[in-house]
Amino acid sequence: MWKTILRRFLVMIPQLFILSLIVFIMAKQMPGDPFTGLITPETDANRIAELREEAGLNDPIVVQYYNWISGVVQGDLGKSYTYKRSVSSIIGERAYNTFLLSLLSAILVYLIAIPLGVLAGRYQNSFLDKSIVLYSFLSYAIPTFVLSLIFLFLFGYQFEWFPTSGTVDVSLEPGTMDYYWSKFYHILLPSITFALLGTTSIIQYLRTEIIDASGQDYVKTARSKGIPMRKVYSRHIFRNSLLPIAAFFGFTITGLLGGSIFIETVFGYPGMGQLFVQSIQSRDYSVITALVMLFGFLTLLGSLLSDIIMSIVDPRIRID
Amino acid sequence: MKKKSLALLTLLLAALFALAACSGDKEKETDKGDGKDSEKEQSTAELALEVNNEGEAIKGGTLQVGLVNDTPFQGIFSWELYEDGYDADIMEYMTNSLFETDGDFMATDEGIASLEVDADNNKATIKIREGVKWSDGEPLKIEDVIYPYEIIGHKDYTGVRYDDDFRNIVGAEEYHDGKAETISGLKKIDEQTLEVSFKKVSPAVFSVGDGLWGYAAPKHQLEEIPVKDLLASDAVRKNPVTLGAFKLDKITPGESVQFVKNEHYWKGEPKLDKVIVTIVPSSSAATAMKSGKYDIIKKYPTTQYDGIKDLKNIDIVGRPELSYSYLAFKLGKYDNEAKENVMDPNAKMNDKKLRQALTYAIDIESVSSKFYQDLRERGNSLIPPVFASFYDESLEGYKYDPEKANQLLDEAGYKDTDGDGIREDKDGKKFSIKLASMAGSDTDEAIVEFYRQNWKDVGIDVELTTGRLIEFNSFYDKVQADDPEIDMFMAAWGTGTNPSPNGLFGKGAQFNFARFVSDDLTALLNDIDSDKAMDADYRAEAFKKWQEYMNDEAFLVPTYFRTEIFPINKRVKNYTIDYVSGSDTNLHEIELTAESPMK
Repeated sequence: MWKTILRRFLVMIPQLFILSLIVFIMAKQMPGDPFTGLITPETDANRIAELREEAGLNDPIVVQYYNWISGVVQGDLGKSYTYKRSVSSIIGERAYNTFLLSLLSAILVYLIAIPLGVLAGRYQNSFLDKSIVLYSFLSYAIPTFVLSLIFLFLFGYQFEWFPTSGTVDVSLEPGTMDYYWSKFYHILLPSITFALLGTTSIIQYLRTEIIDASGQDYVKTARSKGIPMRKVYSRHIFRNSLLPIAAFFGFTITGLLGGSIFIETVFGYPGMGQLFVQSIQSRDYSVITALVMLFGFLTLLGSLLSDIIMSIVDPRIRID
Repeated sequence: MKKKSLALLTLLLAALFALAACSGDKEKETDKGDGKDSEKEQSTAELALEVNNEGEAIKGGTLQVGLVNDTPFQGIFSWELYEDGYDADIMEYMTNSLFETDGDFMATDEGIASLEVDADNNKATIKIREGVKWSDGEPLKIEDVIYPYEIIGHKDYTGVRYDDDFRNIVGAEEYHDGKAETISGLKKIDEQTLEVSFKKVSPAVFSVGDGLWGYAAPKHQLEEIPVKDLLASDAVRKNPVTLGAFKLDKITPGESVQFVKNEHYWKGEPKLDKVIVTIVPSSSAATAMKSGKYDIIKKYPTTQYDGIKDLKNIDIVGRPELSYSYLAFKLGKYDNEAKENVMDPNAKMNDKKLRQALTYAIDIESVSSKFYQDLRERGNSLIPPVFASFYDESLEGYKYDPEKANQLLDEAGYKDTDGDGIREDKDGKKFSIKLASMAGSDTDEAIVEFYRQNWKDVGIDVELTTGRLIEFNSFYDKVQADDPEIDMFMAAWGTGTNPSPNGLFGKGAQFNFARFVSDDLTALLNDIDSDKAMDADYRAEAFKKWQEYMNDEAFLVPTYFRTEIFPINKRVKNYTIDYVSGSDTNLHEIELTAESPMK
């Protein structure tokens, strides 16, 4: 198994290299550049031209690519044109925010979806089942920003149960208990919103699996041995039904850094989703390329993790 | 069946919530009945510049400021280094600004420093007040006035401000190139006085232009930090030392900033204890104001004026922006070799009457009132009215007049020869004009369609370059490169505080996107910045002549002047947004009448 994992990592290198080529060239093909936004009657056109030259944007694209990739190999992702800071420090800051938010969301998703999926599967065609299925389709159909806005207006502004924007209350002293509580409090509403919308696939998979499994031979065997139905569900069916969900788990872990542009924009929460969209709009090449590379790597890693998790939970599957 | 109706009910409930949340004030609006019509008529010119709320002021208090922005702010708190306007909005509370300005944005003697110009010798003298202190208690020295020049002029400086203007200071280039240790044109006369020598002074010097720098920088804090590391330093990002009424206390990067009062403020101790500036997403700006989250919202989206105009807990003040929108016609190309604009005598739009007709044909007035709730008005001149003595209010501009447009087109020889309702060109060939316009808010598309219909009404077929609205970067890329697919384009210019049009319309100006050049224009432009124009009256006259010429040639015609609005909570006692000695320059005087914003 270790061999396989090592091999998978080695294969990532050419994959990421090709990705880097594509994203670099595509980014440069976009009209405009980071200095287009500086055009005002007060800025001097010659100075903008100078800055462009200094930034190396007039070099042939091969040279630009070489300069960039040789930095990347040494761990230097370059400097953001917009933020004037190193790309890694910006991504670090945002990734931390996004990670907190996504982690809580993911926990909530599983907390909501697994019981609902199990109940719906077990009591198939009951009123409970139908309600759960209805909920899961409704949540699938509601656009993220609509529900975010509704929740923000209702629970943030109308009832004032939650803070309405940002990650933390600025007047608190960093490091104190209040500060961490405030941070948690700020991600609660966005996480709940996110979680309520993200349960559909888990509920549906789990429900179908449980319905399928309850007709399987091993269930009949267990029943005929006199094991009570409750135990059959919790010990036998449930564990088998979790397999397809475990298959996604790797992606869920790496997906924690993806962020959601809608949630982040509505709740004014500086995270990765916003950073990505904004860097595209402002042609912040170094950030765009770094983020795409990161997302690409995470996807590859996610699929590897999923395979490993599968092999752990399902002994029938071996990765060799 | 039952279950279906449950689903319906749930849906309905959800929809109801959405509606209730989005338009909670609808009822109030109808309550007002007949008051509503007169309000619609209200032009923005009638929006007050200040609020005066009755009531006893509380001691201290925290002013909650919302800053509308859908992305985090960058957090570069240095006037020399920042690029994003939102950082400037935040810095206003702790500004290092040296000068205060009058109605024409000319430096006055009211600020920390005063300015005297010796035009004959190309010199200016800056004198700073005695006893002004930095927020850390250190005295403001003349070295702090010199230091920003040394930052901007430094070879490691990567900002936009090392420009032609800056190089107008004697010795700036030598310093930049490393040939000199200091900038020779900056001479310390005594502890309070600095003499600046220019290669050439122009009237712009009075509005702190020509290379003059309007801010001080705390040398005692910054000198230890190499210029190339300044951008990343805490002195710029986290704990800047400043001169304004408030000083930075805490910051959550990208989201919010907490200021506390600066007890060393030179105008006196501020009455407020704290100011908190928070980024507000545009989608919830109106609701935030309604629910009393903020005392003031800056950069409030004017398209959401309807969402707040009837709120009882706030006042709305408005002021004209330092900008104008325009419609321009491509008349040539920029020659990159010769570095100048070259007009093409055969350009499609090279017919004054055609250009005038196209401008007369569009109903800017209706668009202003219907789409912009009168927060924009038809512009008549290329100088916004804020510039009291340069703006030519007598200019009529191009008031909507389709008949005149038809008449001009007939005269110019654009006639409908095949009877399809669309005019052909002078030779009787099919005639169609390509318009480039920028994508922005959701109303932009509707407005462009409205104008296309206007043009069609006078028989001109206008198509969109690329077939749709163009994204910002792409738009300027095409306009700047003189894309042959563009015959005319709509955009906007912010004027800044020095309205000299040389940088936008000069023969060598890259930003002269219309590429119009003429000897008359060059003469008029030179006149505005000439030696004679050092005399204010002469300059005002020169501005007027130029505005008339531009109006007649119509190669770049103003479409709208814009109004900027600020919703302000009723607990703010006095607040004025006047450019001259407004609350922004007198933050220490703001008072509140309640502990928290009214709901």
